Amino acid sequence: MSPDPDQAQAVQQPGGNLYAPITMTIAESRDETYDVRTLRLQFPGETERAAFFEKYRVGMFGLYGVPGAGESAFCIASPPTQDQYIECTFRKAGRVTTALCDREVGQAITFRGPYGNFFPIEQWKGKNIVFIAGGIALPPIRAVIWNVLDRRDEFGRLTIVYGARTVADLVYKHELQQWQKRKDVKLILTVDPGGETDDWKGEIGFVPMVLEKAAPSAENAVAVVCGPLIMIKFTLLPLKQLNFPDAHAYTTLENRMKCGVGKCGRCNVGSLYVCKDGPVFTIEQLKNLPQGDL
Amino acid sequence: MKLIDANKLTALAAALARAGYRVVAPVEDSGVVRLKEWAEGAAIRTGAVPVNSAKDFLFPPSEIIGRWDLDGDDFMPRDVQPDAPKTVLLAVRPCDAAALALLDTVFNWDYKDDFYNARRQAVTVVPMVCTAADEQCFCTSVGGAPDATAGADAMLRPADGGTRFILEPLTDKGNALLDAAGLALAEGEAAADPPVEIARRFDVEAVTEWLSRNFESDLWPALSLACLGCGACAYACPTCHCFDIQDEATRRESVRLKNWDSCGFGLFTLHAGGHNPRPDQTARWRNRVMHKFSYIPERFALVGCTGCGRCARVCGAGMSMSEVCRLIADETKKAPTHES
Amino acid sequence: MDVDRLRQDAAAVLADGRARMVIGFRDRAGDRVPAFITDAEQAGELLYDEACRQNLAAYLKKAELKRFRPVAIVARPAVMRSLVLLAAEAQVADEDVLVLGVSDDQEYHGILDLAATAALLNEKYAEMPHDPDLVKRIEEISAMTPEERSGFWTEQFARCTRCYACRAACPMCYCTQCIVEKNVPQWISTAAAGHGNYAWNIIRAFHLAGRCTECGACEAACPQGIPLMLLNVVLARDVEEEFGVKVGYDAEAEPVIGSWREDDNEDFIR
Repeated sequence: MSPDPDQAQAVQQPGGNLYAPITMTIAESRDETYDVRTLRLQFPGETERAAFFEKYRVGMFGLYGVPGAGESAFCIASPPTQDQYIECTFRKAGRVTTALCDREVGQAITFRGPYGNFFPIEQWKGKNIVFIAGGIALPPIRAVIWNVLDRRDEFGRLTIVYGARTVADLVYKHELQQWQKRKDVKLILTVDPGGETDDWKGEIGFVPMVLEKAAPSAENAVAVVCGPLIMIKFTLLPLKQLNFPDAHAYTTLENRMKCGVGKCGRCNVGSLYVCKDGPVFTIEQLKNLPQGDL
Repeated sequence: MKLIDANKLTALAAALARAGYRVVAPVEDSGVVRLKEWAEGAAIRTGAVPVNSAKDFLFPPSEIIGRWDLDGDDFMPRDVQPDAPKTVLLAVRPCDAAALALLDTVFNWDYKDDFYNARRQAVTVVPMVCTAADEQCFCTSVGGAPDATAGADAMLRPADGGTRFILEPLTDKGNALLDAAGLALAEGEAAADPPVEIARRFDVEAVTEWLSRNFESDLWPALSLACLGCGACAYACPTCHCFDIQDEATRRESVRLKNWDSCGFGLFTLHAGGHNPRPDQTARWRNRVMHKFSYIPERFALVGCTGCGRCARVCGAGMSMSEVCRLIADETKKAPTHES
Repeated sequence: MDVDRLRQDAAAVLADGRARMVIGFRDRAGDRVPAFITDAEQAGELLYDEACRQNLAAYLKKAELKRFRPVAIVARPAVMRSLVLLAAEAQVADEDVLVLGVSDDQEYHGILDLAATAALLNEKYAEMPHDPDLVKRIEEISAMTPEERSGFWTEQFARCTRCYACRAACPMCYCTQCIVEKNVPQWISTAAAGHGNYAWNIIRAFHLAGRCTECGACEAACPQGIPLMLLNVVLARDVEEEFGVKVGYDAEAEPVIGSWREDDNEDFIR
């Protein structure tokens, strides 16, 4: 498999320090769950903002950091159509994400990016899109959803199947309510059995089964699946039964990364660098990767 | 031709140091021959392959790539420049120089790493033709040779039965170095000694071909049994280039470091969520072999190994890349392909 | 040494199922490298001589080898002590391991279980003197001023690349997450330089105080030739003098580092 020629070209100032981040200011901070937070980040100036949005396509990722703690890679959770800021959503899991959580509105963090490839949404114009997400994997899909919603006329029917372990684990609850109210989006929420609350009105069951039941049509449609690897694997069967071709189903991989630019050598799956050849892959590509490296 | 007596290499080093070069050469240090900055009085030891490779001076074990002043919750970035003094890598090995093609490619194939590039531009590479080899040497199996000039700016050729060296310039950098050496070199004639003969141990193309269809093979557990998962092989390797990025802070300052890392370590690929794509040493060793002999050939049309044999020399557990490659090559002879 | 008896015993324990794997040594072009024998017919590959210095007990920590237990391990006295100590630290059970015992002067001791191994150690190897060359160097270093001594070690540790070959080679370094990898908080600087190298090597030595059986595998595995045994022997000697314990002789003994006594001679710990 060769690298995607559509992939964003390297963007680097000649003679510049490849690893030097810019300093972003936290404009807003929201707790999504007990351990998941969203930060809205403001660029230091118009030059940096313009340079970022010239490159940024939905699906790309960045490295967010706090000097003294380090950097961590995760997706850019806001779409290029909202071009005055970026957002990121992350779970407090280690040293860097704890330091990021400790930063308050008005304080700074470091940022490098955008890096990696992107969802080819320009090829999806006029198509129906089925979004399937589990748990903390909604952020990359959320960026696509808003990108599409901000250009609503260009796309067909939108179906979102989103599930989490428990109601408390659902992220972007405020936006889920907005999407629920919209007539031009079909949102199906689910929680794992036992994860429901007394007033839960959504589905109860695992994402692949809820998808099977919802049975969105594969005709003129693409699917976008993000979640833990195990969820992706179990979603492949209903997608196949619904006749989604592997080449029209997309996912993102979130391997451990350090450099983000194809040097440090740890994110590879087989001969592909997730940071350069991904993080977006079709299911067709995913199936051709050495499965034991995923 | 330019000549220097074999016992006068230190005079050459001294002349180059006077001319402003940082001289890196094989010297003995606590019983181990290593490449390090030469200092007046140190003997240059050409008889053994140094324990470290020349990559240490292009991609050091630990390098500062970011720096911030800290003031409570505030931080202010400070400019960081690569530390790239004009350097000669003197009497390194052809297998060191051969590794530069891969390092140049990895650090420049898309984004450009200016820390590497600044050091690379400042370096003049002067390998010595090998007239002796040990059991671990296998450059000829991976496209190299004991007298290969790839990556070299000038060559030191042992001559007249090892009593002198011919110093032969190959590039502008090499010519500049000869000029700088001045009177340390004599003009004269000498007969170059033949390079050592190193038998080919395996067919590298057969290895690459086998790897391309054997990610899942029963052979991997057996090939990796002895590996105990340290980084000795990767750190001694002239082509291994994996690194970690870590911050180190005091109350007033934080630095961001690019530290060597190895795919042999268990934490290398561990996700924050707990999943590890390579959960055991079998998977990690497979990645090491695959990277060198399948992924790099596929991606960059190079072989990720120069046959220096350092990995086997330093391994405390008796692992050997050439033995593994030979076993894989044997496998291809045993089992003609059923596919296609 | 009677290598034939070693080979016969290896074949026998594999054939009758007492062991599913024998870990010993083989020759590879003059090098002594580990051999992993699962088939009695391959036991002829085994050999043993004074060049076999790796501590094969380190393979007990390797996850992929757990399915081959019980394993029979070719062990010299220092390695036997590692195995007894691993049992004392509850890392192996009696039924996990057999020993094919060899002495440092090439005598073959036959097939031993851990109890018989401990008995042999107490009977024949109760007095294992510290390496006299090491003791001499330790005395030289002890005679230095603190500044000189600090300078000596700074120079030694400067060469450390943090490859952790010492940790990998040591059977007692079995932590699933080593302190050097803990980063909340970051105890030890990750840079392969200066105080981080110093801290790493000293902390590892301290974690082996009262646990090192002086097999020498860490020092032998160090590509940079750092004299790690100078540290280990000093600490082993201190533990002997302060606690009256020589480790690796009693699988029931409480580890020095993991136990305390009411009559401890340090006031602060009571």
